[in-house]
Amino acid sequence: MESKIKNRRDFLKEMGVYASSTAFLASIPWLDAFAQENGKNVAASDRVRIAVIGVGSRGRALLMNLQQVENVEIVAVCDNYEPHYSRAIELTDGKAKAFYDHKKMIDAVKDIDAVVVATPLHEHAHIVVDCLNADIHVFCEKAMARTLVDTKLMADTAIAKGKILQIGQQRLFNPVYLNALERVRAGEIGQITQVRAYWHRNADWRRPVPSPELERKINWRMYNEYSGGLMTELAAHQVQVANWYIDKVPTQVMGSGSICFWKDGREVYDHVALVYDYPDGSKCTYDSMIANKHHGLEEQIMGNLGTIEPEINRIYSENPPQAPGIRQLVHDIESSIFDVIPIGGATWIPETAVQYRGDVIAPYENNDSFLQFVGFAKAVKNNKPYPNLLREGYHATIAVLLGLQAMDTNEIVAWPAEYVMEKDV
Amino acid sequence: MKDITITGSRIKKEIIIAVVSLLAAIILNIFSIAKFKTDWSELFGQLHVVILVAIAIYILVLIFRLIFWGIAGLIQKK
Ligand SMILES: NC(=O)c1ccc[n+]([C@@H]2O[C@H](COP(=O)([O-])OP(=O)(O)OC[C@H]3O[C@@H](n4cnc5c(N)ncnc54)[C@H](O)[C@@H]3O)[C@@H](O)[C@H]2O)c1
Repeated sequence: MESKIKNRRDFLKEMGVYASSTAFLASIPWLDAFAQENGKNVAASDRVRIAVIGVGSRGRALLMNLQQVENVEIVAVCDNYEPHYSRAIELTDGKAKAFYDHKKMIDAVKDIDAVVVATPLHEHAHIVVDCLNADIHVFCEKAMARTLVDTKLMADTAIAKGKILQIGQQRLFNPVYLNALERVRAGEIGQITQVRAYWHRNADWRRPVPSPELERKINWRMYNEYSGGLMTELAAHQVQVANWYIDKVPTQVMGSGSICFWKDGREVYDHVALVYDYPDGSKCTYDSMIANKHHGLEEQIMGNLGTIEPEINRIYSENPPQAPGIRQLVHDIESSIFDVIPIGGATWIPETAVQYRGDVIAPYENNDSFLQFVGFAKAVKNNKPYPNLLREGYHATIAVLLGLQAMDTNEIVAWPAEYVMEKDV
Repeated sequence: MKDITITGSRIKKEIIIAVVSLLAAIILNIFSIAKFKTDWSELFGQLHVVILVAIAIYILVLIFRLIFWGIAGLIQKK
């Protein structure tokens, strides 16, 4: 996919960013650094040697994306579940060395530049910290870790070792989100006062288990010990978007969670609703459920002048362009003839949403999961983390874990000062 | 079977009604641009809607004429 070396400006355009103003690029410094890196020639021999740890559902997709990235070589794979271990060997045509244990892999394969970690959530922290301590750059799937302490440990280790720790928040590399952000920063939707985000599915979220003793290994998402359920799996993506667009760290969160529909022995909530407060009074309201999928998923970014719905690639003005005059006239004539005038009905017109399709935000063909790896490979090659990129993933994980805490304790939880990561200068 | 003859004057009359319908639709477009304060480029940009409105006017006039002929025919029979 990434065939030609482009200049910085062309590259930014392809990523959805047109104005490339200094002020805007300062707010997404990883993109600017990525764009500058992109202009440099990389010798074919200058390959980035990557290992993939955890080649399950997501790990498989990531591995296949990595195989499309120029100058990346998959040198090792690691999975402690036999069927996935064998599948990983097959996916790499037996060229990558295969392991059941990441420590053995680190010891045996000496020249690994970076690892991609796509294990279940509770298996992120210790693997990531081991790799960072072995001076290996890390790409780790979201959310970062199951606990606040582990999340901070991962971030602190990466910073102390000067290594890259990129979190799998792929929307940060998505041209639609980047273009929308550029328009937000240019004032097109005015002041954002609310991000209303939701992710609705209608499925039990279970995977088939070949034998009962594998239940907790395969369906790790159902159990509190391993997973934060909807919060760490789904909300992590969307709360990251809210923090990013509002450009602030929340001050507190309140919420309520329940097992409302899937009473099948699971421990994690199947229905959550939360409110995140930001220092300027703006809010992110969030809900997720898995018993109705009518509304799907969205992050509705609402400003006083407009709304952005990045998941469906649309932007709406609060004052949509009016229809042509003749159509308005025909519509008025039609309404005056055919509309029923209620007698004794409501004396007000219900304030239902304006039916207006808005405009497309940006053309989008690329796969953001692929683009995030193009960025990661460049950073590894350059041996330097992108400014502020870890901060986005870190605050997203802290936010969802604090949200869980608020729901578990039924209390408003303030964001502890020690979990705020300052911006890189 | 009886042949139906369309006379030259009938065709002329229909063309005049069609042209008047089109003129009426154009006037309606001008009126609506002024009323709703939309862009004057709609004078040409909305020609497709103007033609549809003209056809609607023509059909409406035709319906009235058919009713008129029907009633006139009935009265003559009596
Ligand atoms: N960014 C996204 O859009 C996205 C989408 C889906 C999943 N994810 C994330 O990816 C991660 C994995 O999710 P999944 O659905 O692929 O789970 P999965 O259960 O399908 O796969 C996890 C794999 O890790 C292996 N594993 C477990 N412990 C291991 C260990 N100690 N060493 C080596 N391998 C180990 C398992 O055997 C399994 O093959 C999760 O963190 C999830 O949140 C991200």
